[in-house]
Amino acid sequence: MPYHQFECSKCIPERIKHAVDKTKNDLTEALPLGYLNTIPGTLSERGCAYCGAKHVIGTPMKDVIHLSHGPIGCTYDTWQTKRYISDNDNFQIKYTFASDMKEKHIVFGAEKVLKNNIIEAFKAFPKIKRMTIYQTCASALIGDDIKAIANEIMDEMPDVDIFVCNSPGFAGPSQSGGHHKINLAWVNDKVGQVEPKITSDYVINYVGEYNIQGDQEVMQDYFKRMGIQILSTFTGNGSYDDLRAMHRAQLNVLECARSAEYICDELRKRYGIPRMDIDGFGFKALTSSLRKIGLFFGIEDRAEAIIEEETKRWKPELDWYAARLQGKKICLWPGGSKLWHWAHIIHEEMGLEVVSVYTKFGHQGDMEKGISRCEAGALAIDDPNELESLEAMYKLKPDLIVTGKRPGEVAKKIRVPYLNAHAYHNGPYKGFEGWVRFARDIYNAVYSPIHKLSLTDISKDEITTDKSFVTRQMLSDDQLDESIINSEKLHEYTGEFDSVKKLRRKEYPQYPMKGKLAAV
Amino acid sequence: MEITTESGKDALMNYIMKNCLWQFNSRGWDRKLQNENIIEKATQILCMEETTKESLADRCYWAEAQQLVNEWECFSWLKAMNSVDIKTMMGKLKEALDYQLITNSLNEELKNPNY
Ligand code: SF4
Repeated sequence: MPYHQFECSKCIPERIKHAVDKTKNDLTEALPLGYLNTIPGTLSERGCAYCGAKHVIGTPMKDVIHLSHGPIGCTYDTWQTKRYISDNDNFQIKYTFASDMKEKHIVFGAEKVLKNNIIEAFKAFPKIKRMTIYQTCASALIGDDIKAIANEIMDEMPDVDIFVCNSPGFAGPSQSGGHHKINLAWVNDKVGQVEPKITSDYVINYVGEYNIQGDQEVMQDYFKRMGIQILSTFTGNGSYDDLRAMHRAQLNVLECARSAEYICDELRKRYGIPRMDIDGFGFKALTSSLRKIGLFFGIEDRAEAIIEEETKRWKPELDWYAARLQGKKICLWPGGSKLWHWAHIIHEEMGLEVVSVYTKFGHQGDMEKGISRCEAGALAIDDPNELESLEAMYKLKPDLIVTGKRPGEVAKKIRVPYLNAHAYHNGPYKGFEGWVRFARDIYNAVYSPIHKLSLTDISKDEITTDKSFVTRQMLSDDQLDESIINSEKLHEYTGEFDSVKKLRRKEYPQYPMKGKLAAV
Repeated sequence: MEITTESGKDALMNYIMKNCLWQFNSRGWDRKLQNENIIEKATQILCMEETTKESLADRCYWAEAQQLVNEWECFSWLKAMNSVDIKTMMGKLKEALDYQLITNSLNEELKNPNY
């Protein structure tokens, strides 16, 4: 497999080893470098280590005041935008807190202002008794001792608990450095402090899941239907005190290994809890994941019942979209884990051709997974700069880019449709129904007439009045076989606008406890 | 087409690399453990031999192995293969996994002593 030379990066020789053309299934010939400091002269789209700790992992926790010790800019840039909702009215999305460091604090120190801010925040929200504090570059460089302040407060206010994450922006090449730091800080400082009430014979932590538009709640629904107790979710829709009880699970079910494998590995080493990596996306991959969790606990029949019901309900809708998406070219350009969660299954189940995979902050292990799962011919890129992204899009001519909002804006400028891989468009995308919602978003992105219209310069181009009207049949069905068009089985998505709220009111079967892991 | 232990190994290797995640743990020693335990248990299941699954760790290896063997039903030739050939093929499979993902891997993080 040859390394890929971008024309625009010939002047940056170090970049050559960051891109590979997949020609065959052999990872020993070439593998893009990853998780390295950004090369001078190549403008990266990555986030900082503070952002990785706070925005990705810390803030999805729902019953917590999340406070950044630093200038307001760091806080503002990590507020909202990722749509990690929660079932407690989205407290963590509505409010963000900052100590608002200014120049004078850099000179005289900011510990006093931090202490006042902590007290003020707890007073403003008297029902919230938990807090996370994030160090930033500024507070790290002046050496404020955030832990000492947190301990002082916990002595003075015994009903509160505070977690401190020392992961300033410069503490790693990208947000991934922050994922690592907060994983280890949490297991070191907080796990083991709370003894949970065990209500099932089957107890898991659901790890590396951030409840983007309700993903966690969809998966939680399956686990609850299987009678599995989710002790904690790290961290989407997760509760601070539940996460202090992670040590009591029998299994860590790991979704995004990129951001959260560290805590699973530590829990395995310290408490003997095994790690099981799963895929929550795609019918086949999710089916396989539910089955192996079922096998682990000896409750395969419960997993099977869910798979049967969900597949029967949603497969005809997935197939409606798949029939219309065959052969469309897609660039899978997410942050870290979705390139491998999606690379094979989007091809297998929706018929899309993955022409490129990239990762912004992934490590070489993520590339190993992504390259293994995509088809030959795909271009794999580590942390591309904007010019490389443009060159790749002009060359590959994708019908769609699935990426973050920064590269997404670049794609839109050259009229390539873009879907948000991080915050989604009309998610959740996990689960059986979620996968159909993703297919619907892809279909709408690929076929929407808006992209063709946007190529028109209305100040000078002639607007045709007789040919502008198009229907879905004209756009996506003209090449389709009659049997598919007239199929009574296949049909478009019929779920509700909000597929998550109803789950919050749902009653679940109660399985009596047998007192031990029943199958062991 | 005649399936040999070599071509059978290739088919199973492709299946694992496309569909599984357990072989990609981040450290070399960890990958070695995963490959050893899951392939050993999958071999035992295929050969209808006893396999241990009492501890949580063994149970996790076994669940991965059992699910893999269940999915390998798509390879009809596997049912016709005798135990000796299965063991030879699975030995080669483990070697191929170790070669791709540990000994000849270009992943520079595999030797990192910390998680
Ligand atoms: S790099 Fe430093 S200053 Fe910039 S946002 Fe991150 S923590 Fe704040």
